[in-house]
Amino acid sequence: MLRRLLLARLLDLAVVLASVSVIVFAMIRLIPGDAVAIMLGANTEVTPDKIAALRAQIGLDQPISVQYLGWISKVLHGDLGTSLWTGKPVLDEIVLHLWPTLQLTVLALVVGAGLAVPAGCVMARLRGGVADAAMRVATVAGLTIPSFWLGIVMILLLAMLAPSLQLLGYVPFWQDPLGCLSRLALPAFALGLPILANLSRLVRSAMLDALGQDYIRTARAKGVPERGIVYRHALRNALIPFVTSVGIMTGYLLGGAIVVEQVFAIPGLGRLILGAIAERNYPLLQATILLVTMGFVVVNFVVDLLYLAIDPRVRA
Amino acid sequence: MARISFRALLMAGALALAPVAVGSVAAQAQVLEVAVDASPVGLDPHRATAFSTFQIISGTIYEGLVAVDKDLRVKPGLAESWTVSPDGKTYTFKLRAGMTFHDGSKVEAADVVSTFNRVLSKDIASPLASRLAVLEKAEAADPLTLVLTLKEPSAPLLISAGTIAIVPRSMEAEKEALQRAPIGTGPFKFKEWQPNGFVLLEKNAAYWRSGAPKLDGVKFNIVPESATRQVGLSSGQYSMLPNIDAATALQVKGKPGVKLDETLELAYSFVGVNTSRPPFDNVKVRQAVNYALNRQEIIAAALFGAGVPGGPLSPALKDWALPVADFACYKHDPAKAQALLKEAGFTAPVAITINVLPRQDIRDMAQVVQAQLNKAGFKVELKNQELGQFIQDWRNSNFDMFASTNAGSPDPDDYFFRTFRTGGSTNVFKYSDTKLDGLLDSARAMQSQPERKKAYDEAQRILACDGPIMHVAYGQLFTGLRANVTGFEIIANRSLSSLGDVAVVK
Repeated sequence: MLRRLLLARLLDLAVVLASVSVIVFAMIRLIPGDAVAIMLGANTEVTPDKIAALRAQIGLDQPISVQYLGWISKVLHGDLGTSLWTGKPVLDEIVLHLWPTLQLTVLALVVGAGLAVPAGCVMARLRGGVADAAMRVATVAGLTIPSFWLGIVMILLLAMLAPSLQLLGYVPFWQDPLGCLSRLALPAFALGLPILANLSRLVRSAMLDALGQDYIRTARAKGVPERGIVYRHALRNALIPFVTSVGIMTGYLLGGAIVVEQVFAIPGLGRLILGAIAERNYPLLQATILLVTMGFVVVNFVVDLLYLAIDPRVRA
Repeated sequence: MARISFRALLMAGALALAPVAVGSVAAQAQVLEVAVDASPVGLDPHRATAFSTFQIISGTIYEGLVAVDKDLRVKPGLAESWTVSPDGKTYTFKLRAGMTFHDGSKVEAADVVSTFNRVLSKDIASPLASRLAVLEKAEAADPLTLVLTLKEPSAPLLISAGTIAIVPRSMEAEKEALQRAPIGTGPFKFKEWQPNGFVLLEKNAAYWRSGAPKLDGVKFNIVPESATRQVGLSSGQYSMLPNIDAATALQVKGKPGVKLDETLELAYSFVGVNTSRPPFDNVKVRQAVNYALNRQEIIAAALFGAGVPGGPLSPALKDWALPVADFACYKHDPAKAQALLKEAGFTAPVAITINVLPRQDIRDMAQVVQAQLNKAGFKVELKNQELGQFIQDWRNSNFDMFASTNAGSPDPDDYFFRTFRTGGSTNVFKYSDTKLDGLLDSARAMQSQPERKKAYDEAQRILACDGPIMHVAYGQLFTGLRANVTGFEIIANRSLSSLGDVAVVK
């Protein structure tokens, strides 16, 4: 079973990556405006020879199909290319920007997914009460408030309440663990809140669904205490849609991270991608999107593995 | 068991949510936190084209033979004095004794010579090379004496060549090293660059000017979101927002603990036209545009009132600029514009397209220009372009008219020569006027200031009404500071060279 799943997933990965590589490669070249024109700047002294020389140096004078084949064959050999602007291997730049985003995403998942389970359970148990209604209203608010707005409001508030707190920018965890966490707490919250709202609603309805099942009645009949029913029997069954959503949310998180990194001045992948688009940094953008896609496919694979752990029926 | 784990979950959640209240504020060295909007592209002063790079490096890490003071006049830099031969073709610079680069090596005339070689080298392909085009040779007469021989007299040389950043001679053939690890002579030396995060400079304890720098370091935080920069300044996370426009300045104005420094810009906003194709190949149509513009209205609408109408030179250049009252066509007169169009043989409405630089103040300006021109016999379509596309059209002279901004400089030659002279490197307007060419050429060779002034007065009169650029406004430039930051002087060329004298009082 596991082997078949692995094989299917690997095939998926290959197909997805191949199509993404073509799409990315074509799309960035379809954006009007030329890397060379931007590189040389608007106010410097530029001659047509200079432009032609630079185009040739980068390989932009070749037909696009030739460019693609050259790029993809290098990628298959493990060479993702060098940044047009800094001349450094793009992999170095990506790794550098990956850490802040990874930390932010994980923290946001802790906030979003971690709190969603207890929140959803509480809502399900208190179904119909005032508390349930209040929490559902709160989740709608959480779903609709844009992260960037929430981020700015939180910066303003905390800057007034605790001016000495370092809120903006990024320091690596190993340099200053507390400074790192205090800087990442707000963005993680801003990023995680919509997920928390979304997932807690999902857990609530899945729990209500599960609690109405026959096996719950059986458990009650044999005298299992109420808490045991909720957390051991119902929750386990409610977790399957939850885990699926968490996988999808990870993709959402990467998109949201672009905006939140911008607001909180965090040097992560989102900033790298935006910068690469603005500069028409073709190799950097291609490699980054390819790797992000790969990450997304891998996360979904992990989700599939989690099904196996949660639901014995899948294993059969 | 279930009870415990549920509690534990809640606890964990609460911990994750609680803002880390402990903070990490250690009493530490005095580092000025500056917030800038864009990441530098590299830190090599001879290869950079981006303003985001110059803002961080010039006058802080790097210095030239001369510097520019806040009144835009030349003052000694690494050279303590200089003399010019009577024929204007030999410049002799005397360097200060005892200066060192950040790598510890001595600053000598030979370093200046190899710096100039580096700028001129094909391999480095420096955008500054044209500044040295007039240079015949550079020689070190002795370790502290530099002699520049020119092919022909060149009045702008002192500023154009004199402000080129001097680097150690060991860098002459190094193409990449300075991009990541700059070595200069300035009050601050490079410490760390976290890409998209920050550039950190630390105090250069061996700086040649005694008493400077006062700070232990400067940290340029790269903060792309303007709301975040403003909040950061208001809350004290950042102590300086350098070179901000009126819109941003208004946002932080009057906030407790924030002060603003301001000066008139050297850069100007304008609409430029293509003089190689109708209708703007006709000088009367260009004049008509000038009459159609109501510059005060544009300044009120697009610059929040923070700016002045200006001619071809910034009013900040008090020694050079003519008052706008001297330019007849600066009087707002739509009827006259219509009449000129008729004289030129066009029947209104004359359809034109304006390419618009993607910058908020320019977009705002273009909309007002559109409305004003439409009232004066034109029919204007605005084309809001993405930067790459805009630059491409700009470079290929693929436009009727475009709205944009041009940088200025302390010397008039830099405003005019490359932009308006026939065949000039940024003369995308394809403008050509023999009389103007003559004036610009001869002004380069003149030594005496009154004589040069006369030539540039004449040039300003030609360009103001008949030229390919309709100058609109010189904006007010601001720097936002925390109230406890002292010693900063804003300079219209946007240089942060006064950071060496900045201190933060507790």
